[in-house]
Amino acid sequence: MKKENSQNSITLEEPFLDSPRYPRHVQMVMKGNYAAAEAARLCRAGFIPAYPITPQTTIVERLSELVSEGKLDATYINMDSEHSVFAAAMGAAIGGERVFTATAGQGLFYAHEVLQAIAHFRLPMVVCNVGRPSIPWNIWSDQSDSLSQRDTGWIQFYGESSQEVLDTIIQAYMLTERVQIPVLVVLDAFYQSHTSENIWMPDQNLADRFLPPIQAGPMSIDMKQPKSFGGLLPPEYYNKMNYSFWKAMNQVEAIAEEIGIDFGAHFGRPYTNVEAVNIGPKTRLVLVTLSSITSTVRGVIRSYPEIGLLKLRLFKPFPREAVRRALAPLSQDAIIATVERNFLGDREGAIMQEMKRALYGLDYKMYDFFAGAGGKDVPPETIEKIIHRAFQHPEEANWVDVD
Amino acid sequence: MKPALEFLIKDEKVYSGALSCRGCGWSLLVRHLASILGEDTVYVAPASCFSIISGPYPLQELKANLVHTVFAAAPATATGVRAALDRQGKKDTTVVILAGDGGTFDIGLQALSGAAARNENILYIVNNNGAYMNTGIQSSTATPYGAVTTTNPGAGFKRVWPKDLMGIIAAHNLPYAATASLAFLDDLRKKVEKAKHTQGFRLLMIDGPCPPGHKTDPAMSIHIGRLAVETRLFPLFEIERQHYTINYRPVKNIPVEECMKHQGRFKQLFQPENRHMIEEVQAHTDQYWLRLEMLEGM
Repeated sequence: MKKENSQNSITLEEPFLDSPRYPRHVQMVMKGNYAAAEAARLCRAGFIPAYPITPQTTIVERLSELVSEGKLDATYINMDSEHSVFAAAMGAAIGGERVFTATAGQGLFYAHEVLQAIAHFRLPMVVCNVGRPSIPWNIWSDQSDSLSQRDTGWIQFYGESSQEVLDTIIQAYMLTERVQIPVLVVLDAFYQSHTSENIWMPDQNLADRFLPPIQAGPMSIDMKQPKSFGGLLPPEYYNKMNYSFWKAMNQVEAIAEEIGIDFGAHFGRPYTNVEAVNIGPKTRLVLVTLSSITSTVRGVIRSYPEIGLLKLRLFKPFPREAVRRALAPLSQDAIIATVERNFLGDREGAIMQEMKRALYGLDYKMYDFFAGAGGKDVPPETIEKIIHRAFQHPEEANWVDVD
Repeated sequence: MKPALEFLIKDEKVYSGALSCRGCGWSLLVRHLASILGEDTVYVAPASCFSIISGPYPLQELKANLVHTVFAAAPATATGVRAALDRQGKKDTTVVILAGDGGTFDIGLQALSGAAARNENILYIVNNNGAYMNTGIQSSTATPYGAVTTTNPGAGFKRVWPKDLMGIIAAHNLPYAATASLAFLDDLRKKVEKAKHTQGFRLLMIDGPCPPGHKTDPAMSIHIGRLAVETRLFPLFEIERQHYTINYRPVKNIPVEECMKHQGRFKQLFQPENRHMIEEVQAHTDQYWLRLEMLEGM
């Protein structure tokens, strides 16, 4: 194994190759954004429309390198905006290509109209979003961008680590091409996108054995059977189309779970839609998290045996069944606290809104904690503040670290 | 050049029953386009009158694939379709955008400029009927000076000049761009044929008759289109990279009002207090023609 000179990644020497832990993997140190780009390479994305935006830019930069180095056979096009990026992605997906791109914050907001169209066209594709908020200008970690797009019809996953982002992108292609619904894979700005972590990089054969080439779907152009795509749809058909979308969306939770297990069988790392840590009859408090805050909570709760963690990996469609199953062992007086790195202009953050919806009819004490919007660090001390506040007269919604 | 008399299409590539208004240019234009472009074509359409004319589901006017897309981004969607076809070895399949002036001059201009600057292998057809006709005659930046629309508060008619789209397009240094008129079918068909066989980004701007929007007699659509060319209000020319060619030189100097007087949208300009605006249109038209001749001579 030769050592790569690229400053983007460091390939370790022989002893780590084909480790007994993960056969046919190479261990590397890599930033989250490069892990996302490498995932697109492993999935053999064929069409990549690109437009730069911090903190996503290094994803499309790395993809540009991969294409020019001949490591990825893709058509890579510099578009004039994110709106055009998504419109081009839509055209290539209708053309039957496997599409990948990445965006963030304003870019995702700008593409909102096209997100709707892609989902309602039922086009498969995977897009990586590196979360950041809107104006006033802020480029730091915040999930308000992707969470505000949760009603566009896209499936959404949030990755806790760079490894998870890489693995989730591979699973996401399997899922999107099976259910014909686009998938957004979200990672945190800077905490993940620009931070180096250990990565187990699967080799191409392993990825190929898991993910077959894309097949033409019902929404693909067929020159022998010309069709009109997306023309005016009268009410009686429109309603039926939504019904069929709704039925497919209802199956996503179960199919994603199945793909996560299947991924484990191939790569040695199984995934579930949600992860429960230390949730049992003696647990007094459960913290609910997305993305990198999860790792901080993991560390903190080691010192608190009565506190558990519920990590949401699949967020849209909200994994109601998995959440209910995960919380089932809790006692009647247990507290559920959500940690929100988002603000959507409402009394509650997005996680609490979804949790309340999922747990409707069950009598949990639920408190919402806003922390870390616009990239504000959420260190272990902040998590401890949340824990203490949750036990001492919390409000329905609480802000920490704002005084 | 004499007006074309041979207007029958021998190999029809559209189905009957287009949902256009009487005297609309879109249906006639698409029939000619489709007969030349053939079935090995993927059309991409942003929101426009044609979105409706081509037929609500499950109807489909064209004997080819048609991808409807968002208003602002037909050239971007077409870029994706083109890339997919190329990757699958279908390099001879023509990708054609069918857009109106709103989707071209206004909301779609950025995506158009992007695709043009990338020299995407796409043929862009803009049917310029001078306003948002599908939503009921609202001003676009293609709306002529002095024309009535439903969104000209105060004056009731437009008091600024339309954008020079062909000038903007020429600035992109494209392999082929041209204007064409349904009243000059030989010229139009020749240009479509030429555009079809040119590689890279091509654009044809067609003068689009619209009886409800222009407040004209549907039976007069072609006649008015001919007058627009004869009065030089809509000159026929080609741009190849930096080179201009004027395709038709009117023999007589017919004043612009001879074309404008048939159109209710210009009615108010014939009031004594607004007559000076017709003179301004004449001066602007003469100046544009002079500029074209100078560009052609360069």
